Amino acid sequence: MNLLEELPIDTSLNPSNHPNPSLWQVNENSYQVQFECMASDCSILIECKQIDLVKAAANSAVIEAWRIEHKFSRYQTDNTFAEIHSKTDIIQTLDDETTQLMIFADHAYHASQGLFDITSGILRRGWHFDGSNNLPETSTIKELLTNVGWAKLGWDPSNPNQLTLPKGMELDFGGIGKEYAVDKMLLVIRKILSQTTSAILVNCGGDLACSGKRLNGESWKVGIEAVNDQTKAKHIVALSSGALATSGDSRRFLLKDGIRYSHILNPITGWAITDAPRSVTVAAPTCINAGIISTLALLQGTEAENFLSSLNMPHWLSR
Amino acid sequence: MAGKDLEVVAVAVTKKTHKNRELAQLLTAASCALISGLSQGVNAADSWDVDSAFLLYSESDGRVSAAEPVISATKNFDEETKLTFKIAADTLTGASPNGATASDHVQTFTSPSGKGSYNAAAGEQPLDDTFKDTRIALSTNWAAPINRDWAYGVGGYLSKEHDYQSLGLNGSLSRYLNQKNTTLTLGLNLSNDTVNPEGGVPTGLVQVPLSNSDSEFTQRSDSENKNLVDAVFGVTQVINRSTIMQFNYALSTSSGYLTDPYKILSVIDDNAGANFGGNFQSGGRDLYLYEKRPDSRLKQSIYWQTKHQFENDNILDVSYRYMFDDWGVNSHTIDAKYRFRFDNQYLEPQLRWYTQSKADFYHRYLNSSDYSSADFASADYRLGDLDTYTLGLKYGYKFADETEFYTRLSLYHQESSGDKGYGKLTTQELYPGLDAAMLIVGYKF
Repeated sequence: MNLLEELPIDTSLNPSNHPNPSLWQVNENSYQVQFECMASDCSILIECKQIDLVKAAANSAVIEAWRIEHKFSRYQTDNTFAEIHSKTDIIQTLDDETTQLMIFADHAYHASQGLFDITSGILRRGWHFDGSNNLPETSTIKELLTNVGWAKLGWDPSNPNQLTLPKGMELDFGGIGKEYAVDKMLLVIRKILSQTTSAILVNCGGDLACSGKRLNGESWKVGIEAVNDQTKAKHIVALSSGALATSGDSRRFLLKDGIRYSHILNPITGWAITDAPRSVTVAAPTCINAGIISTLALLQGTEAENFLSSLNMPHWLSR
Repeated sequence: MAGKDLEVVAVAVTKKTHKNRELAQLLTAASCALISGLSQGVNAADSWDVDSAFLLYSESDGRVSAAEPVISATKNFDEETKLTFKIAADTLTGASPNGATASDHVQTFTSPSGKGSYNAAAGEQPLDDTFKDTRIALSTNWAAPINRDWAYGVGGYLSKEHDYQSLGLNGSLSRYLNQKNTTLTLGLNLSNDTVNPEGGVPTGLVQVPLSNSDSEFTQRSDSENKNLVDAVFGVTQVINRSTIMQFNYALSTSSGYLTDPYKILSVIDDNAGANFGGNFQSGGRDLYLYEKRPDSRLKQSIYWQTKHQFENDNILDVSYRYMFDDWGVNSHTIDAKYRFRFDNQYLEPQLRWYTQSKADFYHRYLNSSDYSSADFASADYRLGDLDTYTLGLKYGYKFADETEFYTRLSLYHQESSGDKGYGKLTTQELYPGLDAAMLIVGYKF
């Protein structure tokens, strides 16, 4: 793989000050763009004859990913996330994109009977997944739980752009942000390459989506990280359409009395899921779809395998 | 007992499996809605793109003015499949040249209906001021892909004025080659038009009668037809990422009644004497004949267009058309537009030049010595030697919700030229120019 060039991106479109993406030539008519986003190494593989279009598409996709990252980041003061949380206990109007994400979060909350809840992010304040045995106090969790619960929001699907956020609550789009960004990047690239023949694979730290088969008619070969040795791929998955997402705790967990507490928290009990698989990979039409199913599977703990088998969705699981 | 319990458990598991599948389906649907819904921005999947515009046209000296609201609506089913409807209504009022020459005396003309008359003062271009019409036009078009390499389009067209109807059908077939960098298109358009002029269809090259009580009027038929067949073969070629080029060859045949029933010609006295170059007298009055054109016309044209987008996103659009037909008309059209693009605005100046050589049977007037031997004749300036210049400026503003306001002002200048006449006629202005202004205000949403 040869480094062709850096793709300079205007600083105004790089609010988180990432290094510029780099463009690599893999083969003739096959390119890879590497960049950082959401604390992950991301790459875009594009097979296309027109390098001009490849560059234009990669540029737009990276800008889109960085836009989403910044918009919903919890660590910024001048973004949509900050703006939403600056207005508590009053009705506020959400922008179109946030509204769509709220509708999705609502579906996910109800479908999972409350197990997927974007208001549960603040539970992290009680948990520090540093591999140690420091479990939080029950009282801390109880206290935090008073500000957790999708149903406590002043939000109604019939009027989805109106939100009243009770003081102390937090909306965390981080759990779906990366998968959402992957889908959106694929969409942006497809649009730009729509007039030509191309094959695309977008990958953000293992969450990925493709446009279809490769130009030679073969599937994309994707390695799923092994639990113990991250440098070695465990499963090789042939992906010819749709997306893959992986949820797991291979790096973030607590261990006490031989029980492994995963970093996935149950928003109803406030407690970490135990006996969850180390990692779950799911294939679905879109990355956000694969992501939500793999997260829900982890939330099932010991029942993860049964849950996944009952869905009729391709999945790979490791304990 | 134990068996019973097992059965209950089995039912519970089945139920759970069903529930989970429903859950998975729901989440798949919600995911697709999230991703694809947003891709459309505010244009939800089943929304329409509507372009509404209002056009005002005014000729100098208040000759003709027109007001035309146009609404077109396009439903995009996907990137390549779309359905378009367009409706336009226009009202034309004013006066148009009837074809007669200006004269040294007041001229009186029978109105097209034969029910009245109108005058032209000495030295003035005769204009038929009974001209007023309202037109309604409807068209629809459907375009869709057949497969990866082929696409088609079909459409229909209907327009109605009080004295003219047009009904058209069209179809096109496109073949993509070279990874869609080349598109070959074959288009066919058929149209059937009916003319039912006020006062009936006059007889060509016959003296314009004084009124509708004349036998020429009573023998007239009510309507005539014409048929048009247009075929276009086009090649569109993507040159590079920022340049696209198009070549077309078009063949157009029309047959039937191609004459303008309201146009007449003056017959000028070419006998030496006091009235040399004046209006020839017949039946104690100035002689005017109804015009007459051949009943078929074969036009061919070639067209070239290039669009180029510069690094700064500005767009240059240049085109050239050469047309020639078996009536002896040749024309060249050069059109250039340059779009300056700003963040959410654009400014587009336009220059257009059109030049045409006259038809073989075009005569500004006929001579008294040989008018009776003419097979065809027309003094319609649109068939004469003609140059037109259009200067336009378009401005558009795109709002944050992707709707767009635009306006365009065009100034149009027309110059005719030709035979200057003889005798008294040489003092008359035979080829008055024309200036017109057109303003369009539109909103796309």
